[in-house]
Amino acid sequence: MSRLLCLLCLVAMPALAADELHLYNWNNYIAPETVDRFEAYCKCKVIQDYYSDNEELLAKLAAGAKGYDILVPTGNALASLVRQGALLPLDKKLIPNLKNVNPAYLNTPFDPGNRYSVPYAYTVTLIGYNVEKMRQLGLPTDTWAVIFEPKYLARVKGRVTVLDSQRELMAAALKYLGYSANDTVEAHWYRAEQLILRAKPYWAAFNSSSYIKELTVGNIWLVHGYSNDMFQAQNDAKAAKRKFTIGFSIPKEGAVLALDNMVIHKDAPRPDLAHKFINFMLDGRNSSELTNMIGSGNPNLAALKYINPKIASNPAIFPGKEELGKLEMLQDLNMEQRRVLNRLWIKIKIE
Amino acid sequence: MAKHLGKWLISGPPVLYLIVFFVIPTCIMVLASFRYAGEYGGLAPVLLHDTSGAHLNLTLESYHEFFSDFIYSWLFIKTLVYALVTTFCCLLMAYPLALLIARSASKYRDLLVLLVILPFWSNFLIRIYAWMILLGPQSAFSAALNGFLGIFGVGPVRLLFTPFAVVLCLIYVQLPFMVLPLYANLEKHDPALLDAAQDLGANAWQRFWRVTFPLSLPGIYAGIALVFVPVLGIFAVPDILGGTRGIMIGNLIKQEFLEARDWPFGSALSIMLTIGAMIIVGGAALFAGRRRNGDV
Amino acid sequence: MSKKLLAASGIAVYAFLYLPLVVVVAYSFNNSKLNAEWVGFTWHWYRVLLSDDIMLKAAGNSLLIALTASLASTVLGTMAGYALYRYKLKLLPVLVMAPLAIPEILVGVSLLIFFVAINLTLGLLSIMLSHIAFCIGFVAIVVRSRLSGMDESLPEAARDLGATPFQAFRLVTLPLIAPGIIAGALLAFTLSIDDFVITFFTAGVGASTLPLQIYSMIKIAVTPEVNAISTLLMLLTLFLIVVASRLSPDSIRGR
Repeated sequence: MSRLLCLLCLVAMPALAADELHLYNWNNYIAPETVDRFEAYCKCKVIQDYYSDNEELLAKLAAGAKGYDILVPTGNALASLVRQGALLPLDKKLIPNLKNVNPAYLNTPFDPGNRYSVPYAYTVTLIGYNVEKMRQLGLPTDTWAVIFEPKYLARVKGRVTVLDSQRELMAAALKYLGYSANDTVEAHWYRAEQLILRAKPYWAAFNSSSYIKELTVGNIWLVHGYSNDMFQAQNDAKAAKRKFTIGFSIPKEGAVLALDNMVIHKDAPRPDLAHKFINFMLDGRNSSELTNMIGSGNPNLAALKYINPKIASNPAIFPGKEELGKLEMLQDLNMEQRRVLNRLWIKIKIE
Repeated sequence: MAKHLGKWLISGPPVLYLIVFFVIPTCIMVLASFRYAGEYGGLAPVLLHDTSGAHLNLTLESYHEFFSDFIYSWLFIKTLVYALVTTFCCLLMAYPLALLIARSASKYRDLLVLLVILPFWSNFLIRIYAWMILLGPQSAFSAALNGFLGIFGVGPVRLLFTPFAVVLCLIYVQLPFMVLPLYANLEKHDPALLDAAQDLGANAWQRFWRVTFPLSLPGIYAGIALVFVPVLGIFAVPDILGGTRGIMIGNLIKQEFLEARDWPFGSALSIMLTIGAMIIVGGAALFAGRRRNGDV
Repeated sequence: MSKKLLAASGIAVYAFLYLPLVVVVAYSFNNSKLNAEWVGFTWHWYRVLLSDDIMLKAAGNSLLIALTASLASTVLGTMAGYALYRYKLKLLPVLVMAPLAIPEILVGVSLLIFFVAINLTLGLLSIMLSHIAFCIGFVAIVVRSRLSGMDESLPEAARDLGATPFQAFRLVTLPLIAPGIIAGALLAFTLSIDDFVITFFTAGVGASTLPLQIYSMIKIAVTPEVNAISTLLMLLTLFLIVVASRLSPDSIRGR
């Protein structure tokens, strides 16, 4: 009986799909008020699906999944999608608000001329820490050394987590060694691998998801993670009236900047609604709501006046010119490089 | 003739369903393990068309990679050990429970079985998170354990992010899959057999070991099959609780499909894992069969 | 003495099973955004849950899929289990055992590619079809295990008394193996409602299930709202089962 119902629904779906926008986005990466306002504005419904990793997005699309209008890939995933020809070129006439975007974030190597994408938000991968504990132990908080050097790690053994991501951890190690995060010289990668293996016994876990919680609760004192997660941990600790505070800063050797972009899938059912959505999100006020909610970096100049001044003045969220110079965006690797990196990563994990 | 018709009517539908929704997709993936990886992930085309016509674009490089480095086999062996420990502990814990339920008054049996499964209608991830709380350094259990060990001068042990946490959670997650088949088998044991044994002078232990246990072997084998093999491919538990050393081969396979975007190698690993599992289970079944027939 | 020992060890195992559950339920009333330590009692998360359409829809999807999939796979699995026991087919055992042996992630990806290849729109249907595929094996094994201890002479006696093979099956064999079938059905339901990996790959646009929804929340915060829905889901399932067992005739319950 329910099978029959399902079949009926499937048949009826094309008719119902008329006024729906399918948004495939990171979880918690758009403020509910913004969605509501857009639904009222376009008199349509927004159906959201979520992913928690670029790789999930790419895997699903690589297997042929369709039905999504808007995707929000990070730079290197964007490059991959552009090269595969999976995206619809944007009709700039329909997105006049594009002029609001800070030119520093336009025209990236992933999509020169912004033919397919428009910047949405960014995060920086940096160090988060328990301020009081770091002071108590006399540990520096402005350098990657505190994550990689045994002389510092010995004081926080078992209280450190790093991201469970090949690219991110390698990038941090490469930056610390003075190389570019996008360096692909194998010899440099082996040096980075040695660095990681030397530090690994002091780390508690490779963790990309629950480190916010562990930091806020006080089980973990030092984490390698994303700026908006640290912002949340900071707020959560304050809300829970903890005896310590959470801080986060960009290491002086530099770090990775992840710029997320709005794109339209080439098989999008409603490209017209998709363009409307993009233009809507480029409006200053709409764009600011995400930043105020999760502390993400905002490439939209018109949004600045709506952003909470405490967030706007935080150099770890809105890096100044000097810091910006030390930040790099990760490029996609080709098949061969991915293989080599993958083998390195396996050795790191198993050792 | 009618007998054959019956045979096909009964076995036909499940066989057909499994062929369409299992065999064919699996064949696609077996083929995938011989293909090249797509430049951006996924799979490269099977046929390459160029000036000389179409030719097969297949390779053995994924399998070559597997055999070229011992770490893959080593990881498989490590996973095997985890799976064996988990299965054995599950058996030890599930047997008394299944026996208790099977021997209870029939009006309580359904309820007791239900109580076994009830926790598993909450959510998998949330139960793992509950274990994170229970094993975390600030939990009552950790504090108590460390206090106890402190009496002997042993330093505080970390429970979370260790292989111990992984195995504990694996046991927890797989327990009902051992309880249910065991119960289904034990429930139909004829109590008259035990009475007869008692009349013949057997004590409680002998009654168990020489009557109940042999009769329950099919249930044990079913339980082992439902626990041992799926554990081999699990990745969520080691992902969350495993710390820096607890990964299993399932994590590697997931990594190949997602982060590395090397689907052929992911398929090859999965196939090697399946073959390994089947050899082990098949070998054990063969051994058990020979033992039952009195050969061993 | 051994009876007390048995009871004690059984209860100990129950305690082990329920310990994390107690944490899950207790923390659904926790007055803190994090699932980490106890702060205070509140109904807040239940209120949040009841107004969270997305989460409720995902839970509804999960239930629908689990009910359909367990029903279909119980029917097919029972047939398979019986066939395994009765007919010495060479193909069937391999076919039934194989889905259990293959890593879920492989099954998930292969089904995704298959569905796309046959142009089936991903959605609730694709998830259901996938769940049935991997549940059949579990049900078949449980049913077969039950059958192999059954007394053959009973259905044979029924045949001798004039019953057709089908009648013998329906009136004698089926009630005898009913507890096995029910155990298999429960197993299938549990597997389906909690499945993550395969559902992840075969879910389509707008067809989210509870495990997928929760997984997508992991990064940000597994707030006690998740505990609340887990608690409610358990209670609801328990309620459904109690109602179903009250309504069903006694013979099926194996009395």
